[in-house]
Amino acid sequence: MEMLGLYPVFYVPNIGTAWLMGLTGVMHVLFSHTSVGASILFAFLAYKAYHEDRPELYYYMKKYGIFLLVFSYVMGSITGPGIWYTATVASPRGISSLIHNFVWVWATEWVFFIYEVVGVFALVYFMDKIDRKTHLKLTYTFAIASVGTLALIVGIISFMMWPGNDAYYNTGSVSDAFFGINTFPHMFLRIGFMVMMSGIIGMVISSAMKKENPALGVEMTQKMGIISMIGGFITMLFFMWYILALPENAHALMGKLLPGIIMNRIILTVLFSVYFAIAIFRPKWINKSLASVMVLVILIFGLWPGEKLRESLRKPYIAGHYMYSNQIIGRDVPGKGIKNEVPLLAAKGYLKLDPWVPTRLRTITPENKLEVGRMLAIRACSNCHSLEKDGLYRPIVVSIRIANLKDAESIKGYMKNVIGTGSIPYMPKIALPDNEYDAIATYLDVQANK
Amino acid sequence: MDATILNALRDPAGVPFYPVVFQGLYILTWALHIAFVLLSLGSMGLSLYGSTKQKSDSNWKILTPHLIQVGKISVSLLIVLGVAPLLFTQVIYDSGWYVTNTLSGVWVVAFIYALMIGYLMYYWYSYANKAGKSSNTLIGIISFLILVFAGILMHNFAVESIQPDKWMEWYAPNGVIDNSGLNFHIDIIRLAFMISLTIPVTGIFLQNYSDFLSTREDFSVDYIRFTKSLGTKMAITGLLISAVLFVIWMLRDGLLFNPLIIATIISVVILLIMASRSNKNSYATTGMLVIVALFISGVREYIRYSIISGMGYDIYSIPMNLEWESIIMFLLTFVFLGFTGVAFIAIMAWKVGKNEGLVYDCDTNPVLRKLGSATLWILIAWTGIYFVWGMFTLFKNSL
Repeated sequence: MEMLGLYPVFYVPNIGTAWLMGLTGVMHVLFSHTSVGASILFAFLAYKAYHEDRPELYYYMKKYGIFLLVFSYVMGSITGPGIWYTATVASPRGISSLIHNFVWVWATEWVFFIYEVVGVFALVYFMDKIDRKTHLKLTYTFAIASVGTLALIVGIISFMMWPGNDAYYNTGSVSDAFFGINTFPHMFLRIGFMVMMSGIIGMVISSAMKKENPALGVEMTQKMGIISMIGGFITMLFFMWYILALPENAHALMGKLLPGIIMNRIILTVLFSVYFAIAIFRPKWINKSLASVMVLVILIFGLWPGEKLRESLRKPYIAGHYMYSNQIIGRDVPGKGIKNEVPLLAAKGYLKLDPWVPTRLRTITPENKLEVGRMLAIRACSNCHSLEKDGLYRPIVVSIRIANLKDAESIKGYMKNVIGTGSIPYMPKIALPDNEYDAIATYLDVQANK
Repeated sequence: MDATILNALRDPAGVPFYPVVFQGLYILTWALHIAFVLLSLGSMGLSLYGSTKQKSDSNWKILTPHLIQVGKISVSLLIVLGVAPLLFTQVIYDSGWYVTNTLSGVWVVAFIYALMIGYLMYYWYSYANKAGKSSNTLIGIISFLILVFAGILMHNFAVESIQPDKWMEWYAPNGVIDNSGLNFHIDIIRLAFMISLTIPVTGIFLQNYSDFLSTREDFSVDYIRFTKSLGTKMAITGLLISAVLFVIWMLRDGLLFNPLIIATIISVVILLIMASRSNKNSYATTGMLVIVALFISGVREYIRYSIISGMGYDIYSIPMNLEWESIIMFLLTFVFLGFTGVAFIAIMAWKVGKNEGLVYDCDTNPVLRKLGSATLWILIAWTGIYFVWGMFTLFKNSL
């Protein structure tokens, strides 16, 4: 019995499942980027404190460090595996393909994590309990280890976009997969953002010090302004390089989204440039409320659309330009012995190849057609779309109405001739037997037009 | 679910190294992970009792905040150590892990947010206790219950993953597909055994704690005796409870006379004897506890392997694509950075802990000085190799 390696589908009606990952992912980016950025910042501050004999800087680092322990290490260390978990429930085969390619890279990152986690406790709790020279050394190692975690994960998430050349497909080698053409621009883009985030969070700490140590608070706000400005500049610079290193399917989608992205980035750049300039030239104007609000602004208007964009640009793939978002393998990878599943699916269909189809639904009848249609639509479409009449997240009914598909027959025709031929660059090629198109179209027609 | 489907669910990329190595790493890293799970829940639970006694009892006044701190750091360690078994299980038991996740999608997401809220509340509990607020115990109890709930969810995933014969019925009861991800199935005896282990683990930790502080002059003899005696009582009582539950579990599953199970029981008996000799140095007891943890981890893996291989899924026959570059990277990083870096911080922590609250000059300690410098140079060299390797690969493939 020939079967595809598909898994059960977990689906949240009206919303889909991808948003769960988006929510956890955005939180993780905020926490993890702040923690890596802060590790670089700590190395800089510890260097100044040691060489310029400025003990008050340790006081600032201690306050920042305790905030960091709760904010970044509690939330960051949980949302990290959290992305993994939520991605698994949404795209089990996508995660599986990453695990089976990069398990040793992840294992290496795990070693760095261990050092990072024990390191942050030592760095914060032993600040007043060990000599400063050793503390400085500890701070340096902590910074490099933190950046090391980025260096290791960035190759994997860059591979999710694409490797950028054919080497990996022929060799199956981790090096060829990991060091693709957008790995380095992606890495430096994130380093810039991390540095900027460490400054933005640093301002929350410094602005809260007005009563206890106003002079230090002002000095730190100024420094955080400068650091954020430098980080922001690096981010913008490498964002442009990153865009140039994206695949064609991403550019096709970018064509649709670009005006909105540019406007969003311009507004954010102006807003944060002004904010950083105020921090540098009028540091007393920055208070705790403003600094906290700006963290929320960067989270909601910078990170959320940024990560959403990156996730969208990968489409129709979710890993390595070979695993489609609907969990079907869309190309051969001879280096790993992986076969394109699209032709097999086109010939036999889900009803024969999906191990999770109950026996009573393997044959379409007039009585179960709608039920089969819903089952197949969930299997083929729900990774990206919500399916219900009142669907909230990328609702498929809206796409049907925009395409002016007014009945089951026209929906079926569109699926067969447009999606089934892979004519939309950012959608998977979903080629199926006629009866399965028919069932899906019947279900979608009820959702969109009835 | 038969072998054909279980094999179809294997990732087509195969495994990048010998499956037995992943299996061994799984057993090892799960043992480390569970040790901190048990210590965190045990020390937190005991601290809750302490928080009600600390106003009237000087010993509990010292011990309670220390237990809270131990639990707090242990949660961080259990999270980071938990990543490894999570990784290795997916490589060789793809089907079990991914099916469970999708069948219980709601609980998977709930697990993450429960852990986050529970841990944040733990910090709140810690601050409230430090500030002497009367609400501290209540905050602690809520946090504790949420973290226990997260543990039960993880148990649910483990239990579901070893029952492939029930997966289809759970996904489509009576032939009607249920995409809700609400499947929740626990094995009460197995769960009770795991939870019971929090008692002896915390007890043995307390024995270590007492021995560690016994050389410090700022802790009274009475306090040292109190913590050692409490630890011994907990270790003995807890081990007896755990042993009974373990025997019931094994009897039910028909495994009691299996050589691995007998060896595990013998290891527990040795641990019990060592833990009950409270006047002796307890660090050796912890060494034995690690061995027991490895046995328990091995038993779990034995049960899983037996069930899955009994259904025709053989992890040792998974196609292999040997991947030397990344294996070498892992091994070198694990050996050099792992051992050197962790030794650097662990020895530092030991020395600071023995130093009675004064500043410890690590630079005068040649071992610490060398370990610190070696860690730094290893990291610098690692970064250099990473970039050279990356640039070479990129130019080779793109030019």
